[in-house]
Amino acid sequence: MIRFRAPVRRDGDRFVVGLSDDEADLVLRLLSELRELLGMEPPSPLVERLFPVVHRDDPEQEAEYQRWMRPELVQSKLTAIATIEAALLGDGVLDEGGLMAFMQGVNSVRLVLGVMLDITDDVDEDGEDEDDDPDSDSYEHQLYTYLSWLLEWSVRAVNA
Amino acid sequence: MPTTLSPTRVEQPDVDEATAPDHPWIVIVWNDPVNLMSYVTFVLQKLFGYSLEKATELMLDVHHKGKAVVANGTREQAEMHVFRLHEHGLWASMEKDGPSE
Repeated sequence: MIRFRAPVRRDGDRFVVGLSDDEADLVLRLLSELRELLGMEPPSPLVERLFPVVHRDDPEQEAEYQRWMRPELVQSKLTAIATIEAALLGDGVLDEGGLMAFMQGVNSVRLVLGVMLDITDDVDEDGEDEDDDPDSDSYEHQLYTYLSWLLEWSVRAVNA
Repeated sequence: MPTTLSPTRVEQPDVDEATAPDHPWIVIVWNDPVNLMSYVTFVLQKLFGYSLEKATELMLDVHHKGKAVVANGTREQAEMHVFRLHEHGLWASMEKDGPSE
């Protein structure tokens, strides 16, 4: 009988990410693709969701904010990617800051996949609406569902 | 727009401070179909020190009403809050509360 093991679990004040080799390879590949997208010039429309408009009614303040803060946010996302890569290529153990980075990185990929899949409706947490989604069998949708599951377990671990 | 934020616990100096009149910026989180409800609740607790109850209430406001004011403060504080929300992938913006000077 296969014993289920949580993919992310708390161990005292640390967290253990225990993925199979296939899963780890998959996450590493997605992160590498995200890094590539973040480095594109001009910026890829796929990552625009990661950089929301901050001053919605003031284009001047918006331009000023993005001029200073966007590079910072790109850097923060690159740092999160590097943190996850180090953990997955190492022993999979993270401190709480590392787990934050893990969740941020996983969620960034989810947001990009959300744009690719054109997810615009709220889906019930239990996935009830999935049958209505014409893309629900696609590879991207399966990745999205997998990463949602991983993130959900991360939240559960940090709250444990 | 008057904010509905009120401290639910006394040990939340940020929120007390934020209600002062010289802190006119509000931070808004918008509903989006990708972010998980449990994750949004966790992020609000983590970044603003809200209780589970308060964070859940704000998350449900975002989910059902389309947006919620999650913090307020000076311009610099609001910018920092927005930045940290964006680090976590939440859809956040800021605006000046009330009539402009």
